[in-house]
Amino acid sequence: MAEASTWPLLSLLLVLPLAGALASALLRRPPWAQRIALGSAGLTLFCSLLVVYAFDAGDPEFQLLESAPWIPGLNIRYLVGIDGISVLFLPATALLFCGAVVAGWRVSATASPLAPGLYFALLLLLEAATLGVFCALDTILFFCFWEFTLLPLYFLVSLWGLGAARQRAAVRYFLVMLAGGVPLLFGLLGLAFGSTGGGVPVFDLPTLLVTPLPERSQYLIFLLLLLGFGVKVPLVPLHTWLPSMAMGAPAAITALLVGLKLGAYGLIRFAIPLAPLAARDLHWLLAGFGTVAILYGGVAALTHSNLRGMLAYSSLAHVGLVLLGLASFSVYGLQGALLQLLNFSVAAGGGFLVLSFLQRRIGSTDITQLGGALHSMPRLSGFFLFFGLAGIGLPGTSGFPGELLIIVTALHDHTGAGLAALFGMVLATAAFLSPFRLAFFGPEKRPAMAAAEDLLPREMAVLLPPSLLILTVGIHPLPILDLLRPTAEAWVAALAGL
Amino acid sequence: MSEIWWAAQVGYPPLATLQWLPLAGGLLLLVMREDDLALVLGRLFAVGELVVAIDLYARIDVSTGVLQFAERLDLFAYHAAADGVSMLFILLAALLGVLLSFYGMARQQISPVQLLSLLLIIESAQMTMLTTMNLLWFAGASAVQLVVVGYLLWRWASAREENLALSRFLQYQVFGWALLVAGAVVLAWSHADVIGGRWSFDLFDLLRTPQIGKYQSAAFYLLFYGLAIRTPLFPLHGWLPNSAGYGLIAVGPVLLLGVKVGIYGMARFLLPLTAEAVIIWQPYVVAFAMVGVFFAAVMAFRQANLRRLMAFAVVSHTSLIVIGLFTLHPAGLQGALLLAVNFGLAITVMLLMVGYVYRRTGTTSLDRLGGLFDRIPFITVAFLIGGLALLGMPGTPGFDAVHLVLEASIETFGALPTIATALGNVAAAGFLLWAFQRAFLAPRPRDLPAARIAPTSAMEYFVGGATLLVLLAAGFYPEPWLRLTDSATQSLAAYFPHG
Repeated sequence: MAEASTWPLLSLLLVLPLAGALASALLRRPPWAQRIALGSAGLTLFCSLLVVYAFDAGDPEFQLLESAPWIPGLNIRYLVGIDGISVLFLPATALLFCGAVVAGWRVSATASPLAPGLYFALLLLLEAATLGVFCALDTILFFCFWEFTLLPLYFLVSLWGLGAARQRAAVRYFLVMLAGGVPLLFGLLGLAFGSTGGGVPVFDLPTLLVTPLPERSQYLIFLLLLLGFGVKVPLVPLHTWLPSMAMGAPAAITALLVGLKLGAYGLIRFAIPLAPLAARDLHWLLAGFGTVAILYGGVAALTHSNLRGMLAYSSLAHVGLVLLGLASFSVYGLQGALLQLLNFSVAAGGGFLVLSFLQRRIGSTDITQLGGALHSMPRLSGFFLFFGLAGIGLPGTSGFPGELLIIVTALHDHTGAGLAALFGMVLATAAFLSPFRLAFFGPEKRPAMAAAEDLLPREMAVLLPPSLLILTVGIHPLPILDLLRPTAEAWVAALAGL
Repeated sequence: MSEIWWAAQVGYPPLATLQWLPLAGGLLLLVMREDDLALVLGRLFAVGELVVAIDLYARIDVSTGVLQFAERLDLFAYHAAADGVSMLFILLAALLGVLLSFYGMARQQISPVQLLSLLLIIESAQMTMLTTMNLLWFAGASAVQLVVVGYLLWRWASAREENLALSRFLQYQVFGWALLVAGAVVLAWSHADVIGGRWSFDLFDLLRTPQIGKYQSAAFYLLFYGLAIRTPLFPLHGWLPNSAGYGLIAVGPVLLLGVKVGIYGMARFLLPLTAEAVIIWQPYVVAFAMVGVFFAAVMAFRQANLRRLMAFAVVSHTSLIVIGLFTLHPAGLQGALLLAVNFGLAITVMLLMVGYVYRRTGTTSLDRLGGLFDRIPFITVAFLIGGLALLGMPGTPGFDAVHLVLEASIETFGALPTIATALGNVAAAGFLLWAFQRAFLAPRPRDLPAARIAPTSAMEYFVGGATLLVLLAAGFYPEPWLRLTDSATQSLAAYFPHG
């Protein structure tokens, strides 16, 4: 384990959005709340880039560790740190939240005259909690951050969501996630007590990783964690909250919900390495869930008439691909999975941001209401196409290397599933291109479409960085793969060494 | 069993002070006129009580499970002492006393000074229950508290159905109280039988006599049901929804539910005194409690009134506390007692906030509420955080407590029933959330104009803010409370040597 960092960079990363949230909640004047929110989101992004800069790519251990006793009576610590698995999620998250803040620029002021800053405060609170999920190395701390994401989401959806069903969707999401938290907590507690044999419970991840569990309890814990994370991923039978949230949440929030794959991260970080025997034994379960998700997501996306629903379901297919990559437990598979997750948070996040801009102009993202958007909004259409193609994994975009790695390893290890995944890619392409054609080409059906203005400079400014990122990584993925490799190798070695 | 004399720790008899200070205040206010001076004086007494409690907390020795600050007066069989567990409850009772003394005053239609004086008398009775080592004193103080709360229900009922609420309340409570006294008599009688003639209700004396087989189950059942009615535990909760639905909006329920003396009584008297019977009957109690978690969750779902819904949420959560208590495991005991205090505080916040809502809307029926968030955001958020604390959300003291209870429960009863219980608890919380949504976030009904909902007043900010501060501070930094109760629960768990 690397020595504790001299500068609490990660704590700073967590505190910045919190401070921003507090400031924008207290400010009475909307313009200032917006500026403060954007400022602190930007600072957080900068800070997350600093973290990447400070990260030593050659070292597979946890880095930038910070540790302080929190509840010594229960041996629970404030322990944060990053490794190659988590480091890139931080800037991706920060970038996505910058976009979400801009996307909420006018939304916030219209819905609730009472608390103009509240929207941004909740958004930044969510950002702090999400970053915390990626940084936390104490399982209870992780669980706390995990649950803290629920409350801001609940309010964001039920106060600023779309349509009459939004409140139902928010409550449903909250309850489903709470119910998912139960097996998760039990899994983490089981880990804490299982690895000591009745002594002091162990909650810190670095220690847990080197103390193997008895084989029998590994299965139980792996399944509990799979269930807990699976609700968030979402795995296919547990995905029922997704469509209603995708339709009910404000588009920028959907970008966060769909773009940030906390569930998959949890599987990579906790479930698989902490119960390695069970995970290796149950690889067919992961691969099966993955394949089902790829096919189901593809078909469901194909039938959806709303662009947001379409993107939400294709995210289901993407995360299925990630699971399939994980199931092979190889370096390439893991690299591909991580790359795919990162790509998707940028591409799907970007896509949803474009949709939120569209929603604000037209008042709908339903295909039947659109048509001919290309004429009045060429730039907006172009960005949407670009993000969509990146999501499909067009060569030259960042989606390609990840998908290639996953499919190659899947064909090698689970040939049937790999073939299904190939078919799923065809489905995904069709599911994106056909609604795109209907919505953006063709004649303008409604006068509102002709009158709509194209992207504003500040919206362009938000969409450009992710686009550049997608292109850069797509054309030259080697630096990122190198950044991921040492940790990925250590991760796989720990699994293979059993 | 041993104890530390008060003079060894403090310069004044602190437990007597805790009991006499509010009683003196209450009696003084009873004879005073209804004016501002009396109000200020009453609040001063409540604050003074909190100061004494905090002073006591500063002096308590947490490293030992031995009872401390002991006071005895043999003439009246008066025997008081405290350990970490009682300290926790004492702090809560004193805090609630302060909150209620500030809460109750804004109501225009009742005589605030009289209410305040009754509050102080009840607080004094609570302190007696939390400190006494004598079962008869416990029962006596319990009777005083019930009589005064019954008077409150009768005097200031908020609706026509008051009579039903009052009679249900009295039927249940008188019956429960009689069971409690009968249990105490059985114990004292068998004690006298063994010792040879001398009766005693003192915990220390009763523990010294060898435990007697055939009376123990009887004593256990009498005491358990007596306390379970107070708690209230499924299926003995029948009085609660009625009195919560029709009685005083906030003050009455808080007095009954804020400080869970039933749970405290179980930990202090029932578990050590009838340890063998507790082990025999443990599976039945736990099975009932597990059913109770679900039953109450289902009942909560069917309520159309916010207050009745909260009452069922309480029943559901109380069952969880009892499960923790009857794991008879050190972690479970500690978790259950912390949970009891957490729930007390959480339900207090919620009841007080519902009281504030009622002042504005004149109803707590879910159909007729809505859109409150825009007008009174602070009250909304305070209510929500109270609800999240009931749920055991991380960041509230409920989280660590629940997780201790669950740990112990997995170890004692296995994973499946524990997971089922936890899910039932989530369900009950879910209905609370659903109610929150309807009352605070849903569109405002037409007969509830926005203008009628006055903005949050300074006093409301103070009461809500103080509770929230305590709740969140204890949630993010639970270490002191864990340390406070650690050795006391260890010595309680020592009665139940673990496999």
